[in-house]
Amino acid sequence: MKRGATVLLLFLIAALIMLPILWTFATSLKPLPEVNTYPPRWTSPSMSFRPYVDMFFYLPFATYTVNSLVVALSATALTLLIGSLAGFAFARFDFQGKTLFLLVFLLSQMLPGASVIVPLFQLLKEVGLYDSLLGLTLIHTAILLPFVIWLLYGFFSGIPREVEDAALIDGCSRLMALRKVLLPLALPGLGGTALFAFLGSWNEFFFALILTTSDSTRTIPVGIGLFVGEFSDVWNQMSAAAIFFSIPPLVLFLMMRRTFVKGLVAGAIK
Amino acid sequence: MKRSTPYLLLLPALLFTVFVLVYPLLQNLLNSLRRVSLIRGAGDWIGLANYEKVFQDSVFWLAFQNTILYASLGTLLALLLGLAFALLLNMKIGRITNIMGFLYTIPWVISPVVAGFAWKWLLNDNFGIINHWLISLGIITEGITWLGNPTTALLCVIVARLWQFYPFAMVMFLAGLQAIPEEQYEAAAVDGASTVGKFFHITLPNLRSVTGVLLLLGVIWSFNDFNMVFVMTRGGPINASMVLPVLVREFSFVQFDLGKGSALSILIFGMLIALSFLYLRVISRREPA
Repeated sequence: MKRGATVLLLFLIAALIMLPILWTFATSLKPLPEVNTYPPRWTSPSMSFRPYVDMFFYLPFATYTVNSLVVALSATALTLLIGSLAGFAFARFDFQGKTLFLLVFLLSQMLPGASVIVPLFQLLKEVGLYDSLLGLTLIHTAILLPFVIWLLYGFFSGIPREVEDAALIDGCSRLMALRKVLLPLALPGLGGTALFAFLGSWNEFFFALILTTSDSTRTIPVGIGLFVGEFSDVWNQMSAAAIFFSIPPLVLFLMMRRTFVKGLVAGAIK
Repeated sequence: MKRSTPYLLLLPALLFTVFVLVYPLLQNLLNSLRRVSLIRGAGDWIGLANYEKVFQDSVFWLAFQNTILYASLGTLLALLLGLAFALLLNMKIGRITNIMGFLYTIPWVISPVVAGFAWKWLLNDNFGIINHWLISLGIITEGITWLGNPTTALLCVIVARLWQFYPFAMVMFLAGLQAIPEEQYEAAAVDGASTVGKFFHITLPNLRSVTGVLLLLGVIWSFNDFNMVFVMTRGGPINASMVLPVLVREFSFVQFDLGKGSALSILIFGMLIALSFLYLRVISRREPA
């Protein structure tokens, strides 16, 4: 009896939590006249995936999608490469200023985007990277790095030193040991970290909004975020764009839930 | 092994950090002391006049209050909700909790822009489902313009923020709950402790450090949060839901006054530093070996 009540409660809460997403999904399937009617209904007689096609003609979402992918994938690769070097240094070496460096990385993670945006905007303008995918990629890499280093530091520390020492005795160099022994062992951790980095860049809105200005460099969240203010009457296409944009995060999360949760906990309380 | 090796390994990461942390902060400091316009570029040095302009702007004080409310209330409610859900999911009643754990974490994975959009649509005054339900239940007679009303706008954004942030607290609390040794509960059971007693004397004390980390991270992240307010209300109506990060954009890129924007940035940074040091003190006891 008690179990039955708990299960019911769990389902009720789940329904409430999913409400915003379900309602957006329902909206994304309706033709416009049926979106703008009162009372609102969950279903309508002529539901279809039509808005998912129309949205690409309403705003250049195809370009936005390519841009989002390019930026997120390059930022992930770059962050992982640079981050694993730093994580390796922290996990395996004792050196002067180690605590200070850790502190700098940790603090930069707390840094509000709002307090660096003006100079970054000026800098990118000066070097000609304002409104470019490369500029946005570099900025994303920089803001993702501290957390990635922190995660990788944790993962590398968790791998026993002996494994590597054995490789060193067998004549590997330190970097070779990193590549041949440590990285394969840290692969699950790296996978989780890559997921974080990808999602971080994919979902990032603030810098993308301010550091790009033309349709050829905008990412999907900027398209959606601007669209809400300017063309808020086409709620069905807008919903379709929102759902479409949420597919990669949801799929990645579904595939890698364990790593995801573990990384989340590790990053915050390690 | 050479002594320089670790420094060489850190170098690329440091370069990036300098480029987003050190350089912008210094540049901001300089900006804040001179006239800088988005259109005309840098002008005379004017001392602290930009800071004065910020302090004399009544919107700054409003945004300051709003930011504190947004960060404190939003975080507190998210922690309570997260704890409640974590306790529910920690009751061992089979596979169902696994699936629920997945569903309950989804809001955290969704982009803040999508979250803001979805809530804005739910709260739509004419066609939103929330107004429809309230009318059907007879609680209100006509639709409320939730986001267009100065008294409700910020509260609505807080609800959306809460929806997005509680999963983080939930996951952390769940990990904390699962780390509590079973023996503590068994010993308490032998002593005849009630369920409530166990909760207050074993569960809560064991969650203390997780709660500390969550509170600080939650406050810091919400304090920095630009997205939810921008997407849902742009700070309106008439600045009623304005928060500091959105105000930086307003000063810099809407009023074209980069000097004033920089001054506000420096102020925000100062507030954040205070919070961050608190955070460091909490976690410094648990650094990885």
